[in-house]
Amino acid sequence: MNLPQSRVGSAATRSQLAAVPKPTGPVIVSKGLTVGYKLHRERKRLTALRNISLTVNRGEFVVLVGPSGCGKTTFINAIAGLVEPWEGSIEVNGHPVKGPGPDRAMVFQDYALMPWRTVESNVRMPFELQNLGLTQEEMDERVRRYIELVDLKGFEKSYPYELSGGMKQRVGIARALVGEPDILLADEPFAAIDAMTREAMQGELERFVAKTGQTVVFITHSIDEAITLADRVAVVSYRPGQIKEVVDVKLPRPRFDYDVKMLPEYGELRDHIWRLVKDEALQTARGENL
Amino acid sequence: MSIVRNSRGNAAELTADPSRFQDTKWSVSEVWGRYGSWVVTAINLTLFFCIWELITRAGLVNPLFLPRASSMFHTLWVGLTTTAPPGSVISGSILDHLLFTLRDLSIGLAIACAIGIPSGLLMGGNRYVETVLSPYVWAFSSLPRIALVPLFVLFLGFTMKMQVTIIVLSAVFPIIINSWAGVKTTEKSLLAAAKVFGANRRELYTKVVLPYTLPFIISGIQQGIGRGLVGVIIAEIFGGSEGLGYLIQRSADTFDSALMYAVLFVLVIISLSFIQFTRWLEAYIAPWRRIDML
Repeated sequence: MNLPQSRVGSAATRSQLAAVPKPTGPVIVSKGLTVGYKLHRERKRLTALRNISLTVNRGEFVVLVGPSGCGKTTFINAIAGLVEPWEGSIEVNGHPVKGPGPDRAMVFQDYALMPWRTVESNVRMPFELQNLGLTQEEMDERVRRYIELVDLKGFEKSYPYELSGGMKQRVGIARALVGEPDILLADEPFAAIDAMTREAMQGELERFVAKTGQTVVFITHSIDEAITLADRVAVVSYRPGQIKEVVDVKLPRPRFDYDVKMLPEYGELRDHIWRLVKDEALQTARGENL
Repeated sequence: MSIVRNSRGNAAELTADPSRFQDTKWSVSEVWGRYGSWVVTAINLTLFFCIWELITRAGLVNPLFLPRASSMFHTLWVGLTTTAPPGSVISGSILDHLLFTLRDLSIGLAIACAIGIPSGLLMGGNRYVETVLSPYVWAFSSLPRIALVPLFVLFLGFTMKMQVTIIVLSAVFPIIINSWAGVKTTEKSLLAAAKVFGANRRELYTKVVLPYTLPFIISGIQQGIGRGLVGVIIAEIFGGSEGLGYLIQRSADTFDSALMYAVLFVLVIISLSFIQFTRWLEAYIAPWRRIDML
């Protein structure tokens, strides 16, 4: 099979890890995690996620899939440190999460790029907000390297409003990778991107992560996207979200290049996951869960 | 490779193939589509003033109500090029009064910005400040400011202080409300992104909320200029012996309709240029809002 080589040069992208043997073992450990939100007007609190126990290992690509409003985003926000657990615990690298940190970065569904900043300035933003102990030259070099990685060379001085959706999300990915975090969190990053560009972006993300070796927690509504990207798919049930099943995806990589959708295993996995979420997806579509 | 922007200026494209872009000649209808509105506007305004001139020359309207367009422009020219029009019972030319009004307006707007922007930002950023100040802001911004003029004349007399106070009160509320709204409507995902990448509370304000709010502040100032202009004219009509408002009042008293229309014309020009300037400023500072497409 003629596999196209990655277009980016083979320079060690994860500079720190290049010398050290890649450690394995758990990175994110969630034990009986229950999180939710306060609804001030109704004097109630809403449980978004109940009793989530999930361990994500180093270098693993875990995709959470489930119907709208099942609390997937809340889980990722809990890992990012944007919401605090009500019950249970969530640990990253052995430490309980107490707010955001440079070991985690996030890609957002609506890109969340600062519209007043150029591509380059958006990618540089993490360096302005957190001190990673890098020299100015190292930061410049990384910004340049990650803009190149996401194929946006030549657009450093463009503003987000001048870019297409796919290009905006490439900026979002470069911004998330530039600090070389251990963990990349992605909250439906391709949901707002058209179907064709979306498939291409899935292949691109697979390529970026293969380069950088990040642990990824990725949220999607799309079963196809989940199978295309994941090492493991966690199927989340409807409100309050609970993990129904964790499905191993043992398909060859890079899946974009291998065209794994043609494999019979792909169809079986797809059918298996669809059966898990079917009833809830139907209920959601009919508005019965509201 | 070159970066190409489409006609709307967005969706830049990386193209390896320059042959996709060929020079074309504009057809007459395309040239018309691009510049036609300017031609129409020029003809439209010329016709307007010509018809005005013809109607007044034909004696269809009492010249006391509507002077000839030509005599309005003549008065305007004389008023802007001399410092004291000869043979006038009114002291000071249009230029003198214009500069006086602009000075008052600038002082008033500067004070309104100095008060309005920080209060708006504080109201948006702090719930207690918001709770305490919002009833006053809503009350004053819904009150017709002209109703306050007699009160300030009573307090401060026919002085510049009174006029500046009225300008400030007219202009400050749109500025407060817009700055406040900008802070309150800052996109949650931008805040979340900044937090994830390590922003502390102060950085959330300086690196997200303030840049996001800047175009709101500018449109607040834009509305403030409009309101401030109303304020200054009202203040000058009510009292005082200088300024364009006074000149309108005096020209009416002396049945000098050409002068009155000349002053009105100046007011239109001032307020149009102010609005155009702030629109340009907004398009320059916040190009992503595409205000210039309007």
